Amino acid sequence: MSKYRRALVTGASSGIGTEIAREYAKRGVDVVLVARREDRLKVLADELVDEFGVDAEVFVADLTTEEGRLMTEQRLVAEQKPVDVLVNNAGMVVDEELADSDPEVRILEVELNVVAVTRLATCAASTFKARGRGGILNVSSVTAFWPVPGNATYAAGKAYVLSLSESMHVELDGTGVAVTAVCPGFTRTEIFDRGGVDVSNVPSPMWLDAHDVARAAVDGLESNDAVVTPGSLWQAMRMASRLTPPPLARRMTPAIKRLSGQ
Amino acid sequence: MQLQRALVTGASSGIGRAIAVEFATRGIDVVLVARDEARLKELGDELAARHGIDAEVLAADLTLPDGLGRVEQRIADLPVVDCVVNNAGWGPYGNLAGSDAATEADCVQLNVTALTRLSQVAAQTFNVRRHGAILNVSSLSAFQPFPGHATYAATKAFVNSLTESLHEELLGTGVHVTALCPGYTRTEFHARADWDTGGVPAAAWGRADDVARAGVDGVLANRAIVIPGAANRVLGNLSRVLPSTVSRKVTKLLATRGDRH
Repeated sequence: MSKYRRALVTGASSGIGTEIAREYAKRGVDVVLVARREDRLKVLADELVDEFGVDAEVFVADLTTEEGRLMTEQRLVAEQKPVDVLVNNAGMVVDEELADSDPEVRILEVELNVVAVTRLATCAASTFKARGRGGILNVSSVTAFWPVPGNATYAAGKAYVLSLSESMHVELDGTGVAVTAVCPGFTRTEIFDRGGVDVSNVPSPMWLDAHDVARAAVDGLESNDAVVTPGSLWQAMRMASRLTPPPLARRMTPAIKRLSGQ
Repeated sequence: MQLQRALVTGASSGIGRAIAVEFATRGIDVVLVARDEARLKELGDELAARHGIDAEVLAADLTLPDGLGRVEQRIADLPVVDCVVNNAGWGPYGNLAGSDAATEADCVQLNVTALTRLSQVAAQTFNVRRHGAILNVSSLSAFQPFPGHATYAATKAFVNSLTESLHEELLGTGVHVTALCPGYTRTEFHARADWDTGGVPAAAWGRADDVARAGVDGVLANRAIVIPGAANRVLGNLSRVLPSTVSRKVTKLLATRGDRH
């Protein structure tokens, strides 16, 4: 069960976003499904209505655009069918060294992973604080803990989200607004295919299931944990990364990608 | 490594100005970038007269597409720029709830978007030439969250992560990449953003010229991360090892002490 009533989930059309929406629906929480792909959102909405009897709203928006961000902000502040949870999940990854990559794609990545997250988090923080209740769940990544050569802007964006989220957690302490960052490791979703990231060599114990990540994230927000790292292996790696000299930490992810097979 | 000409953003004051002076002192030409053309000209004339170097003035607002575009172009253009110092940066003060979204967005545009674009152009240009240096000015607040300065600290966490990855990507290409993480430094920065720093003990303050020297030495030696000042180095490393529950509380305490008039 949940203390919340309606969750707005960005990037709900696939992966961890879909699973978080499903997890909320399962707990009887209504959902607002935000993504670009209307057809996929409709299929998911129908499924959640049928299976869990919740209200599921399809909300088509492209968060890399100003228009999409404004629309979503308006939905967050609306008093009709009020939203009391924001899940900042939409994200993309570019898998290329900075010197070789297309600047426009790189900026799109920053617009989505950094700018949109900040805009929606700021809007939700103001709205929920004024109402005296709400929750903000920011989807970061274990790449927030150490730099990732080859995915420099992605890891930097996730470090940004983790830092922002932790500061907000403290800022909103005692206001009735919970703030949680979830930092998953490798999770089986479309993000790697779409970003052209070759993960075929990542050993199987390192993989997380999107459903498990979603459940840990939703549980984390219910108890207002500042940071949730799903999976004991990744928790151990997070602790280890703090004690690892920076030059080694920088080489960790490339090493994992190469681990087997080569 | 021998550098010819360094482009410095935010060169009209503070650490940016000190870095331009440091390069000029070492006989390296400079391209001074900031919004305030008059201040840049004054600095350019002074550096040219005192150190006999060439000082170019490029007035541009990096939060605007036009300004950013002109600086990108200058980096790729001739006469050769072989060092880019991404120093321009700014941060609002106050809790995110109730803050102005446009103000937070300006901070992200300058500290993240502009820095990423200029780093990318520099990385591309210098990689082809197999020579060059990128010095990104970050902050000690990259190492832990900072309630009251949430967006600023997050942008600096971005800069550190990006710079460390880029350092690794360009290892062995002849391109040096360094993040400079100063603590509290006496500049106009805090007054401009209305940051009250009354709670920060005098001993914690560093001087802009010391920070600049450490940054220039660091990028010449291709160190990934430079934290100027022994006390700051201890703080930076401590926050890595401390549980984040503790470091969050400590920075909150610092931030709220600064609140009191």
